Amino acid sequence: MAPGQKMYPRATVKKIVKAHSKCNVSKNVDVMIFLDYVLFMQTLIKEAAIDSKQAGERNVSAKSIRKATPDTLAKFKG
Amino acid sequence: MANTNPGTSRTGRLAPLNTPRATTPPNRQTPSGRPSVSARRNNVATPHARAAIRAMDQRRAALFTPGRTRRRSLREQRETPRDILRNLSRVLAPTSQVLSSSSSPETPADASLPSFIEEEDEEDDDDFPIERPRFSLPLGPEEDDDEDLKPPRLSGFEEDNYTMQSIELPRRALMDNTTRSSLGSMRHSDYMGPDIQSDDVGIDSGFFPPPALDDSAEVVMDEPAMIERLDADEARRQTLGGDSVFGAIDIPDAGNETTFLMAPVESPVREQTEEQIATGGLEGLGSDDGPVYDMDDDDDHVNEPMNVPDFDTEDEADNVVENNISTIEEATLSRITSLASNRVVKRKKGKRISRHGIEYPSLPPSVVKRLATTCAKTAGSKGKISPDTLDAIMQASDWFFEQLGDDLSAYAKHAGRKTIDESDMVTLMRRQRQTNASTTPFALAQRYLPRELLQELRMPVPVPSKAPRKKTRREDVEGEEQEEVT
Repeated sequence: MAPGQKMYPRATVKKIVKAHSKCNVSKNVDVMIFLDYVLFMQTLIKEAAIDSKQAGERNVSAKSIRKATPDTLAKFKG
Repeated sequence: MANTNPGTSRTGRLAPLNTPRATTPPNRQTPSGRPSVSARRNNVATPHARAAIRAMDQRRAALFTPGRTRRRSLREQRETPRDILRNLSRVLAPTSQVLSSSSSPETPADASLPSFIEEEDEEDDDDFPIERPRFSLPLGPEEDDDEDLKPPRLSGFEEDNYTMQSIELPRRALMDNTTRSSLGSMRHSDYMGPDIQSDDVGIDSGFFPPPALDDSAEVVMDEPAMIERLDADEARRQTLGGDSVFGAIDIPDAGNETTFLMAPVESPVREQTEEQIATGGLEGLGSDDGPVYDMDDDDDHVNEPMNVPDFDTEDEADNVVENNISTIEEATLSRITSLASNRVVKRKKGKRISRHGIEYPSLPPSVVKRLATTCAKTAGSKGKISPDTLDAIMQASDWFFEQLGDDLSAYAKHAGRKTIDESDMVTLMRRQRQTNASTTPFALAQRYLPRELLQELRMPVPVPSKAPRKKTRREDVEGEEQEEVT
């Protein structure tokens, strides 16, 4: 990540969660949320990568992502 | 059954014995009437239907047995004819000793101890193996003998569904000859239950109308209830199967069929209403240029997963589903894929609306792509991510945030808050198994987040809420130390 760049738009994350939960989001929770999101993304990509490798593809394919999505979501179900 | 009269003394029980007979005939008649009704449909003959019918019968029998209220434990087991006879014998025992002795060799003992046995035994007799041993030795063995001998008979009876109404045995046997299904009419009988108990005579006449009313009522009912009702109707139909002698219930059946036909037609209507609502809400918000129909899509999503996953999404979902071969999670997959497919179509348009009717933006694709690329590199593949893949990832992250918002709000509400707190997030991550004793949220943050964000994360820590938080605090200190070092 480029040095001057923001890692993610904090306000956007906050808005997203706020819309989904219909709750207010306290000040710094969005950092944690984004952390969780990073973890989710990592798991998802990892699973998808494994899957696509098994399928003999070089890059992570959309198909494998779709395949890995339900599992990963279930894994991140609190 | 002696039990039939609640609260009666032993002497009184003899008279009650007759009452069950009087009450039972209506039941029988109901089945007899049933076959006529149900007769039209032959479906019922299947073993499953029989089993279901049997279950219903037993349930109904349980309902009808008056003795039920009086007894506290193992009521159902008591309801066998044998028990009735036993009760009768007990009642008779004190008065006529000679007969009791003649009936069974062991009875004399009972006769000798009638007063004791009766008092304690009433409840105990029927609880088979368990309770006997507790009581005094002399009493126990005698009773055990009785029951040891008889249980086999009981089992036989129960299998044939004769459990409750010993008196009905012959009649039911007749019924079996015609159709098992006739017995299955339980459903109606359930309705009739109270009537039967109250009026023995009027049952026949009153019996048919209620089901008819029931059906008509269902027909009249609102459309939203449709789905549940369909199942119910089917169940009833199965129970009803058989050859119908009476045409009386034909009408309700027709009503059912109509309702069946209605179902598919109505679903779109419902959606329309939702759409209208959604549009109304959107107009109220009146914010974004985002096409109305985009919004609708989202609203549908909210409702679909619960009720009608199949209807709308079939077309679009098919493609995706075919791609996904995993059979294990077909249900979830299909649902998700359906959602995905719907979203894919309209996703690229600006804002969407959450379940609560609040607009929200999606994460900028650039951010997601950067993150995904990083993850892909760490995962060992090349960092390239095609637009397709990015699309899928965006979907996944949308769902992720939706799920996360749900969970967080649930936690916050549970804690009586209206604000999502850090503790909620800590809880969530712990439940996700992302953090545990050895991994603190802060450690994760340190690994995955840039330092500025870490700073932010560190700020709120002073508020100690839970155990993990303390750890994070400790971690915090360590982190600072590390930073100092670095």
